[in-house]
Amino acid sequence: MSAIDTLDGFLALLREELGLDVTAREAGESLVNLPRWDSLHLLRLVTLMEEETGRRLSLSPVLQARTLTEIHTVVLEQVGGRSQERPQEQNQAQNRVEAQA
Amino acid sequence: MSATAYLAATGSALPGPPVDNATLGRALGVSEEWVDIFVGTRTRHFGWDLETGQVRHTLADLCAQAGGAAIDAAGLDPVDIEFVLLATATPDTLLPTTASEVADRLGLMYLPAFQIQSGCAGAVQALDLGRTLIAGGARAGLVIGGDVTHRHLDPHRDVARVPTEELVNYVLFGDGAGAAVLTAEPVAERVAVRGVLNRFTGLGRPPGQTVDWYGISDRHSERPMLVEDYKAIEESVPTMAREILWELLDQLEWTPDDLDFLLPPQLSGRMTERITEHLDVPGAKEVSCVAETGNTGNALVLLQLARLLPDLPTGGRALAIAVESSKWIKTGLGLEKV
Repeated sequence: MSAIDTLDGFLALLREELGLDVTAREAGESLVNLPRWDSLHLLRLVTLMEEETGRRLSLSPVLQARTLTEIHTVVLEQVGGRSQERPQEQNQAQNRVEAQA
Repeated sequence: MSATAYLAATGSALPGPPVDNATLGRALGVSEEWVDIFVGTRTRHFGWDLETGQVRHTLADLCAQAGGAAIDAAGLDPVDIEFVLLATATPDTLLPTTASEVADRLGLMYLPAFQIQSGCAGAVQALDLGRTLIAGGARAGLVIGGDVTHRHLDPHRDVARVPTEELVNYVLFGDGAGAAVLTAEPVAERVAVRGVLNRFTGLGRPPGQTVDWYGISDRHSERPMLVEDYKAIEESVPTMAREILWELLDQLEWTPDDLDFLLPPQLSGRMTERITEHLDVPGAKEVSCVAETGNTGNALVLLQLARLLPDLPTGGRALAIAVESSKWIKTGLGLEKV
């Protein structure tokens, strides 16, 4: 069990460690609408996730993500976390639910 | 200005082997892929050990190497050099100046050795001052620009928690020095400095880049050493570069079609691509170095000139553009080989 297994845990980590205060609803919105979001915040996020999981992340799937929720999903997929144990469709549905929570 | 100054030769110094993105990524703990994609700089050089921090090449080492190479390439002896101008933001000590230290290393004596505190505009500012000294009667002088990063980058910082305005500096900069010999008569490479633009434009505007330093009273300060307002830079520099291009062309009574070579601002591999596209001078061949050298601040234009000069044919024209975002300084050079 890791802090980033859930979207809430992931967002709490972003808030505490990166100073990115994003609600679960905002996490489901396009990254272009996030105030202050840019490629350097992405680098900090990826670095934090690598630190948290102890794994090197491949960037291209992260770059394809359009929302923080999707980034959370691809990070979990890469580190073999909870999301990978589920079919893709269920995984996305789960994240949509979490995003609206 | 009555007399024309000529670039006779250049020299450059880049310490150690090139550091690629995989090595930089490992040292800093950041994604190599991210640097590839978003910075677009492939290699840079550091005069210090990324793991231990041990300094292996000082600014004076690099500047003396570049300066000596330029004097040799010009076919001159140190005794022919009548002034030294050194531009840097990162001197080894405040006093003696690195300019004086380099004069000593090169065996230069009884001549003025000026130091200009500057950033990406420094090389052009030094060349501008150099040509006034040539116009004032000097026959030959040495212009040097260089910067080193060991005091301002700490590879052991926790990158994820570094504010983005500081973090960006870790993936942009490298160490290096460039030099050029200016002469009153066309010798060696015989490149006439036809025009210079050198203009402070930051009135009332917050700085785009801050390079801080600490002294004995504030050595425990939490002030960041390097801060870059990269959003302001991304927004302003392409436009400023285009303004410099057109202002210089107008001053020289040249058109874009007259340009054989274009030396665009060297921020990062990716930014330089964007700026060059925005400058839109398709007939001129681009001369850039940043993708291989990293952003070396005061050395950049001189490193570009070192790449340009061997390729510039007689009658060939080139235009160099540099923007210093510290306090928004616009600079440029118009060059013609005679």
